[in-house]
Amino acid sequence: MERRSAGIEAINFYGGSTYVDVTELAQYRQLDNERFANLLMHEKSVALPFEDPVSFAVNAAKPLVDALAPEDRDRIEMLITCTESGIDFGKSISTYVHDHLGLSRNCRLFEVKNACFSGTAGFQNAVNFVLSQVSPGAKALVVATDMARFRVAEGGDALSEDWSFAEPSGGAGAVAMLVSDTPHIFSVDVGANGSYGYEVMDTCRPVPDSEAGNADLSLMSYLDCCEAAYRAYERRVDGVDYRTTFDYLSFHTPFGGMVKGAHRTMMRRICKAKAPAVEEDFGRRVAPGLAYCQRVGNIMGGTVFLNLLSTIAHGDFDAPRRIGIFSYGSGCCSEFYSGVATQGSRHRVRAMGIDKVLDDRYRLSIEQYLRLMKENDVIAFGTRNVELQLDVVPEVLDSIRGTGRLVLERINEFHREYAWI
Amino acid sequence: MSQDQIFQTLKEVFVDVVPEVEIDRITLQDSMRDLGANSIDRAEIITETMEQLDIAVPMVSFAEARNIGDIVAVLAGEGA
Repeated sequence: MERRSAGIEAINFYGGSTYVDVTELAQYRQLDNERFANLLMHEKSVALPFEDPVSFAVNAAKPLVDALAPEDRDRIEMLITCTESGIDFGKSISTYVHDHLGLSRNCRLFEVKNACFSGTAGFQNAVNFVLSQVSPGAKALVVATDMARFRVAEGGDALSEDWSFAEPSGGAGAVAMLVSDTPHIFSVDVGANGSYGYEVMDTCRPVPDSEAGNADLSLMSYLDCCEAAYRAYERRVDGVDYRTTFDYLSFHTPFGGMVKGAHRTMMRRICKAKAPAVEEDFGRRVAPGLAYCQRVGNIMGGTVFLNLLSTIAHGDFDAPRRIGIFSYGSGCCSEFYSGVATQGSRHRVRAMGIDKVLDDRYRLSIEQYLRLMKENDVIAFGTRNVELQLDVVPEVLDSIRGTGRLVLERINEFHREYAWI
Repeated sequence: MSQDQIFQTLKEVFVDVVPEVEIDRITLQDSMRDLGANSIDRAEIITETMEQLDIAVPMVSFAEARNIGDIVAVLAGEGA
């Protein structure tokens, strides 16, 4: 049989217009700073009140779509939005994204959810669509878009304990990926997937605009899945060796410290490695993927792909490199899979200018951050009518004017209306 | 394996990960959190203790543990 290829043809990230320094935030919230450093968090992106999962998704995807010739753009036959920050139980975010990107109407639109696993769920769906060859040459656009909601659900001990780290780690961002049979960025190892899922109540969004969770349980579940998904992969792929098969490892990154812990656990359990070897391996195979994540925070569905982007941007690709990916979403579902990136992938990723996008974000003071958080109430889930005020923090508005980004202008009888700024 | 042996190993691992704590201060009634270990530290301590004792228990089994005694009990196969 002819060898079929599929994977990421193009990828882009939108990480908002503003950020806060999380060490400063942790100090302000009086979190235990003594051991905060080993959580490996630096900055987190903050969504503005007039930004929502739709505007984030469009801002991530637009450069990819604009770069396509019209005939190629019309080959986007599936658009999947992946999110746990939905704005409607029925209507999919993908419909708005489709509209603002000007895609062909002969396109399948839907949304998927499974906490932070949503991005992988959407991606694998797209990969299988391409591999199936039901429409040869067709492309799928997958956009993982999420933003943290900061009001922790009140009441109940089990689901709020140690939840204070959720605020410094919860970011905002969207990753858009064009999936096709010309995978210039990342070519998947077809059939090399190990899944592991089971019911667990670790973190969730049981009410609108809020989160609840048991951070310890979530960490433990993540660690169990990390090994179990890899073991499932191992059973399917001949001769795989955790230490040597993968030149890089991209983990879902709620925060850097969690990945460091998971990597250490895997190296201890699977490779029986000692501390110095674990540290060296971490620096070489894992750290390149954390660079962007540490500046953005957890963007849930898109996080694992932000890590992949960071790995490709910061790794050494003199020769093609195999990257092992571990994706986890609370609730829970996880998957270990892999693929190959090349020097060409690195050039293309670096051309997207992610570093500049992050550098150009406006740094919020704690006071400005708190003002924005308060303002978020105006677009609470279920808002029927509202006009968004764009100048809540005037300095921020000045910093994004003329960037050509999409912002939410108003909600009119539940319908969201956007404008290019 | 005796609970004493597990407790002794866990204490040694604990002070390796959180050097600010003196080993003799650690009791079965203490919670690792109160001794200054954050969630990442706690997971590391449990993983490393299991490695040293050659025990394999799903990590989620420890989520309900309220103190070191509970963790030792899970490791000894007696539930939390």
